Amino acid sequence: MTEKIQLTNKVEAINWNRIQDDKDVEVWNRLVNNFWLPEKVPLSNDIQSWGTLTEDEKLLTMRVFTGLTLLDTLQGTVGAVSLIPDAITPHEEAVYTNIAFMESVHAKSYSSIFSTLASTKEIDEAFRWSTENVNLQKKAQIIESYYHGEDPLKRKIASTLLESFLFYSGFYLPMHWSSHAKLTNTADLIRLIIRDEAVHGYYIGYKFQKGLENETEERKQELKDYTFELMYELYENEVQYTHDLYDPVGLSEDVKKFLHYNANKALMNLGYEAMFPSTVTDVSPAILAALSPNADENHDFFSGSGSSYVIGKAVNTEDEDWDF
Amino acid sequence: MNSSKELPAQFQGLSYNDLNAMLNLYGPDGKIQFEVDRYAARQYFLDHVNNNTVFFHDLDEKLEYLVKHEYYERETLDQYSMNFIRDLFKHAFGKKFRFETFLGAFKFYTSYTLKTFDGKRYLERYEDRVCMVALHLARGDEKLAMHLVDEIIEGRFQPATPTFLNAGKAQRGELVSCFLLRIEDNMESIARAVNSSLQLSKRGGGVALSLTNLREHGAPIKQIENQSSGVIPVMKLLEDSFSYANQLGARQGAGAVYLNAHHPDIYRFLDTKRENADEKIRIKTLSLGVVIPDVTFELARKNEDMYLFSPYDVERVYGVPFSEISVTEKYYEMVDDARIKKTKISAREFFQTLAEIQFESGYPYIMFEDTVNKANPIAGRITMSNLCSEILQVSSASEFSDDLSYKTVGKDISCNLGSMNIAKAMDGKDLATSVDIAIRALSAVSDMSYIASVPSIADGNSKSHAIGLGQMNLHGFLAREHIYYGSEEGIDFTNIYFYTILFHALTASNKIAMERGETFDNFENSKYASGEFFDKYTEQEWVPATERVRELFDGMQIPTQEDWKALKASVMEHGIYNQNLQAVPPTGSISYINNSTSSIHPVAAKIEIRKEGKIGRVYYPAPYMNNENIDFYEDAYEIGYEKIIDTYAAATQHVDQGLSLTLFFKDTVTTRDINKAQIYAWRKGIKSLYYIRLRQLALEGTEVEGCVSCAL
Repeated sequence: MTEKIQLTNKVEAINWNRIQDDKDVEVWNRLVNNFWLPEKVPLSNDIQSWGTLTEDEKLLTMRVFTGLTLLDTLQGTVGAVSLIPDAITPHEEAVYTNIAFMESVHAKSYSSIFSTLASTKEIDEAFRWSTENVNLQKKAQIIESYYHGEDPLKRKIASTLLESFLFYSGFYLPMHWSSHAKLTNTADLIRLIIRDEAVHGYYIGYKFQKGLENETEERKQELKDYTFELMYELYENEVQYTHDLYDPVGLSEDVKKFLHYNANKALMNLGYEAMFPSTVTDVSPAILAALSPNADENHDFFSGSGSSYVIGKAVNTEDEDWDF
Repeated sequence: MNSSKELPAQFQGLSYNDLNAMLNLYGPDGKIQFEVDRYAARQYFLDHVNNNTVFFHDLDEKLEYLVKHEYYERETLDQYSMNFIRDLFKHAFGKKFRFETFLGAFKFYTSYTLKTFDGKRYLERYEDRVCMVALHLARGDEKLAMHLVDEIIEGRFQPATPTFLNAGKAQRGELVSCFLLRIEDNMESIARAVNSSLQLSKRGGGVALSLTNLREHGAPIKQIENQSSGVIPVMKLLEDSFSYANQLGARQGAGAVYLNAHHPDIYRFLDTKRENADEKIRIKTLSLGVVIPDVTFELARKNEDMYLFSPYDVERVYGVPFSEISVTEKYYEMVDDARIKKTKISAREFFQTLAEIQFESGYPYIMFEDTVNKANPIAGRITMSNLCSEILQVSSASEFSDDLSYKTVGKDISCNLGSMNIAKAMDGKDLATSVDIAIRALSAVSDMSYIASVPSIADGNSKSHAIGLGQMNLHGFLAREHIYYGSEEGIDFTNIYFYTILFHALTASNKIAMERGETFDNFENSKYASGEFFDKYTEQEWVPATERVRELFDGMQIPTQEDWKALKASVMEHGIYNQNLQAVPPTGSISYINNSTSSIHPVAAKIEIRKEGKIGRVYYPAPYMNNENIDFYEDAYEIGYEKIIDTYAAATQHVDQGLSLTLFFKDTVTTRDINKAQIYAWRKGIKSLYYIRLRQLALEGTEVEGCVSCAL
């Protein structure tokens, strides 16, 4: 577990003019277009709204975000990086570096939220909580142990489950607040993170399925069993974590449905069938609808910048365009 | 609409939030679940509104309580007899008004209705609010009050947010929504502008400021070179002022700044909206607008450089502020004048940069300076627009003493708005009356407003009585009538409708001028007084070009050339009361309450996802849409910019001020496509462009299953 990750054996110049897998380019372009920094979201507009939360709700929110910070830190500094040596194409490596960087942006975003809304003392206490909460630490440790393990495909499984499943017990809360007209700018920022994580989970899962193609039936079965085992292990821990966090505000039941929903989604990304029947995945529609990663939200100048803008493609105008 | 009393079994136990959100999720049959939103609205009343409304036995008790506890303004009610007031409320409640959507009801109760001072309980129903607005604006005129109740509650006229929110309340902000201020190139003017911005945000909607006259970065101060820090620090000051002030917490202060494209700081100005801009210069909440003259397009056409001129030098050479110069007219003269310091950038690169920034931020707005001034019937120059890019009025500079008092009071701009619901107005079959009542209501707002804290605004308003009658629900109306937005019939309708509205608006303003024996200040130097304004209506015949539009106007009178000649004679003799009459705002909140599509642009989505500071994420179905006529609700991204611009061009020719025009693009476009749209808009005679909106769809495989907003 302490062993150093070896990044690559040899260095080869990436030639973007020789594409082996179109998905690499598609995802790269999408990630680059989606680039953002937390400074663009006017979080300070949420200060008033923050003041309307009860002490329990504030505490919950702080803890949820420290939990997310921890996961993003893990994914940014270890997770995405650990995938690089296993990359099948050089372009895949490039995509992972982008993912790693954005995870660090995400981790920093939570700090922006903290410093805007809370006092240093509250922030420190929340961080202390994150190092002391057994379930949170456990989930980080489970994932981290696989990142340091030998099996490249298992690393991808762990990574996909993190990106597509483990984050969501935390994401639930800002979506819940925004559907109740609270912390709406924070929710905008989180939606930007969700937009990224959706692509990350999808891509890593896709690469897992690619890797699976060359494996024997026996090994395929092993990986599948392994996936479901890991999912169970994480799920049980996640249920505990959810109760720890959400019991005081009475939201645990709905969060668990949300966990089921996303567990299925994570498995789907890996190419597997759903684990939870639809009777236990009926998340509150307000949350589900709020999740939509599309940038189609309408807003006005009183409401902050929303999550809809992207970096555009610059193309010169030609003489014919100016023909008047 | 509310046919079923009981919530169907499958929806039992869901909250109104959940029911509303189900609009964005397809039903089991793969169709949009329109009915759930009506359940959501109903559930909202049952679970929330009814339980949280203060109960009164009768109207007398209620009004007495509200006046005594300083919720209602006594003066408003004192203008009428109690008998009339009782009749009016009875009349209003007799209309059996119901909100058509959850968002309409939710928006009304969260943002408009009167609440107890602790903010916890509701004191008004929709009908109460309408009556108070009518009583307040009619100022004792019973007939007008009754008319106003009819127009508002039947949905034909909807006053803008500040008026609808505030009228009749004792603790309130102003009735006016929109202010425009000049800033001149001196510290006193800048300081006064900051003060005015604070004062105005505290009292109402948005403030726009023109920065065009400010000296550029590196310009001399007291003749010492390289001293000025340009427009950016002023923008920072303004941004902070706006976030500090809000209207009793009702909504946040909002501001816009405009800059001429030929100002040397133009790139710095635009770069404040870059994604990776440094925190020191990043502008987050201030809106940006760029004023572009014709010459910039000409230079880009020839692929030449465009010169940027130092406002400091221009003012010294011409003796007037930079904004008072037509850059198109003086361009080559200024290029050749050695006394004016200049820098140059590539004109095409400028347009491309503009588009890049619009990609990243949606800003800047654009005002086509020469188009605007050519169409302006009023003496003077239009140098900027406002927060929604629809107000276009003349202004003049103020001068200040060292202690910031006024040496001379110039003319700044305020505008109060209200919009007609096109579908309801057409259903009412009496556009003349609807427009007349609307113009009177808006004029009343102007008459009743006096912003003492900003004398240039107060003065400008009392001289101009400027108002802005807007329109909304064009797409809803067209779709209901099975006409595609932007089709030949759609454009034909827009043309004839706006043509008719203009006639009635001028007629109403002319009548008010006759009744009061008063016109706006400087009427005698306007193109109304010279008669020139009317040429295009008296010399040319305007009639529907298509059979379908003739049908739509069946039983309504479309003004003839003879009508125009008579109106012209009357206006030239008696004048008109309002310096400005029409402006088409983007209509956010009020169109939800009124069950309209916003403004005259196409719906942004069949089911719109709306996020607003106070509400959070809410879903809004397009008015009149059902699973049968859904094809007519092509959204703005599918319709494309040409049809939108063509529609706006048809309306623009009959509107004295501007129209907020948002351009919608899919994220597959490039900056070149945005530039092409801007060129097209400019060539079609569009006066201003509002936001650029981009829609990015989720990468295939990452979308939420069964989500309406994910489907193209």
